[in-house]
Amino acid sequence: MHPDVEIVDAQPQADRRLLESLADWCDRYTPLVALDGSDGLFLDITGCAHLFGNEKRMLDDILSRLFHQGFDARAGLGASPGIAWAAARFLSPAIVPPGEEGETLAPLPLAALRIAPAVRAGLESVGLKTAGAIMAAPRAPLARRFGAALLTRLDQALDRAEEAITPRLPVPPLSVERHLAEPVVLADDIERLVGLLAASLRAELERRGEGAHVLQLALFRVDGAMQRLAVGAARPLRDPALIERLFRERLAAFEDRLDAGCGFELVRLSVLKAAPFALEQTDLAGASTAAGEDLALFTDRVRARLGETALLRPVLVESHRPERAAAFVAAEMPEGRDGRARPDNSAPDPAGTVDMADRPIRLFRHPEPVDVVAAEVPEGPPLRFRWRRAVHRVARAEGPERIAAEWWRDPQDMPTRDYFRVEDDDGRRYWLFRQGFYGAAETMPRWFVHGVFA
Amino acid sequence: MAKPAMARETVVALRRQIARIEGSLPERLAQAGGDDGLVLRHGPAARREPGFGTGFLPTGAASFDAALGAGLPPAALVEIHGRQTRDAGAVAGFALCLAALVRRSAPARPDNALCWIGTAEIFREAGLPYAPGLSRFCGLPAGALFLCAPNETGDALWIAEQAARQRAFAAVVLELRGNPARLDLTATRRLHRRAQEAGRSVFLIREAGTAEPTAAPVRIAVSPAPAARRSTVSGPVAASIGHPAFAVTVTKSRAAPAGRLVLEWNPDASSFCEIRPEDSGALVAASGHRPDSSAARGAVVALRPAVAAPAAPGQPSREQRPAHRRARRAR
Repeated sequence: MHPDVEIVDAQPQADRRLLESLADWCDRYTPLVALDGSDGLFLDITGCAHLFGNEKRMLDDILSRLFHQGFDARAGLGASPGIAWAAARFLSPAIVPPGEEGETLAPLPLAALRIAPAVRAGLESVGLKTAGAIMAAPRAPLARRFGAALLTRLDQALDRAEEAITPRLPVPPLSVERHLAEPVVLADDIERLVGLLAASLRAELERRGEGAHVLQLALFRVDGAMQRLAVGAARPLRDPALIERLFRERLAAFEDRLDAGCGFELVRLSVLKAAPFALEQTDLAGASTAAGEDLALFTDRVRARLGETALLRPVLVESHRPERAAAFVAAEMPEGRDGRARPDNSAPDPAGTVDMADRPIRLFRHPEPVDVVAAEVPEGPPLRFRWRRAVHRVARAEGPERIAAEWWRDPQDMPTRDYFRVEDDDGRRYWLFRQGFYGAAETMPRWFVHGVFA
Repeated sequence: MAKPAMARETVVALRRQIARIEGSLPERLAQAGGDDGLVLRHGPAARREPGFGTGFLPTGAASFDAALGAGLPPAALVEIHGRQTRDAGAVAGFALCLAALVRRSAPARPDNALCWIGTAEIFREAGLPYAPGLSRFCGLPAGALFLCAPNETGDALWIAEQAARQRAFAAVVLELRGNPARLDLTATRRLHRRAQEAGRSVFLIREAGTAEPTAAPVRIAVSPAPAARRSTVSGPVAASIGHPAFAVTVTKSRAAPAGRLVLEWNPDASSFCEIRPEDSGALVAASGHRPDSSAARGAVVALRPAVAAPAAPGQPSREQRPAHRRARRAR
């Protein structure tokens, strides 16, 4: 072997990532981009070519941009994915006009038909070496000997059978983009662009009677990298100012990760999810009557900046176990604009009416173990306990409140807890519990502090 | 001890005099004395409403109201300090009591929610809000609580500013630990402005933080206090833990000199009342068979001999003698 040859290990995963980033980049031509094996991309350009003048110009644009990014790309364009595949690999760059698939395909070798290597070897062994020979041969014996897949591939290439490509991403129902002669770098400029794009989205949303639930901003960098930022809205949005504000929070949170490089040359704002937008009557002073409006916008802003779980709400669960009785969930999206899903403050609290026992106002995520230095009687409250390296002398105690494990949920040997409400010398009130009983098992019962009272 | 108190008294008196000359004393308007009252007319019918429309929220404890001016200032930032992180239960509880007063004062509003913002650190150290306890303690239903636990102090401040301008929240509670650099005079001034603009209360809880310059008109230092005993028809129950109590010192206020108050929160009436030290259960013996904690009061020092007398032979020493046989002190 030649001594200057540089040997690099194959990295299929890195190749895959590169192909996916290329697919992202191809999003600028059409939203329907599919991966083809390990080295190809399908672009469904139906209805997109006119943006570039014609198909020829579009193909040249793709190839020249990829060339300048350092890729040696081949491309073919045809009425069916099969003929485009063959043209890209054997005739690149080529545009196959509709109706001429047969002539184009006939001189090409069998590899142009996307068939399994074993089938190809079998066909070659009987002297069928070009696609044209297959086309000329009778179909029934071919299908009997080499399987139906061969004829399916042939029909797909000749545009006789329908073939659907599987796009990587769902197609947004509505999107608006702007090609910039002068790339933008500053976050302020991007925000302003978002406002402008949202203003043009507004008319279309109004015409459809819809508002945007989820919006996505796609930023295409000059050097081919792209970034997507999505924001969700609790209520359907139309107002460009509000959309711009949401993206401002998102960009502020993204600031350190957003690498503008040499600038963004294409900015696209898509509505990923739209919902009916009910118009609302305001009073004569112009003030909105919806009280939940502000709250929904606040929720959106916090979530745009800090993530979906930034804003939590407690939900009560029917359970005896204190740590299970209240759980935190992300603040849900209110349904519609009529405020149906607003927090129901008037409903009686199940915990307040059924369970009158005192519960702490703060509960530790996990009960914290304490050393009980002295207990009065084995089953009674402690006299002193050490928690977080400080000794607390118990002045008064109430209890026990015995809370057993829930046998229908917990494992069999889950110990029973005796809860005590204790107050130390300084007046701090704690919720302690003893897990297990003295003398019931070999292991000594352990003490925990579970919460604090006011 | 006496001199600073006297000096402070003088300062307060002078400040009041200046304010009277300038005519800008809000608490003067709040204290409707004599004929200085407000008359409310509905058509021909007129009604005298003393103290109506001042906006200050009465807390239920007259001395606490006086220390705050005329009550809890509406639409303002209120700082609540705790000495240690382990006091967080009492300090947060006190803030929630004040928030409950604010919520109660506006029951007609449909969205009477409370937004509780804190860093993830403080919730890990001091515990997460527990909805079943909160509904009993300050009548806050689970549906009315919003919780934010960002990792960074800066994010917490940002959310607090956003929340403070929301009219949907009756009150915003921001809980921070120590003295973060981000929480400076400017940050408190911004919070105070937001609260003023939206007409909402913002409570800033500072766990284990030292007092710094702040734009909040009111700063309250809270520490836990022993609760009174549970009272029943047949008298207080021995060794029981009744309504929560707080030792409160108003360290910054435009109205009155600071003083230490012990306030008791009544969850059922959702109002405060002041408890005098002699009412407190902790200052009497908790129970007969435990060491007498009332023996530790200050008067003991004067009665104790300068040199500990050796015990007579055959007699138990002073320490060994049971508490109930100790000589009774003259009161």
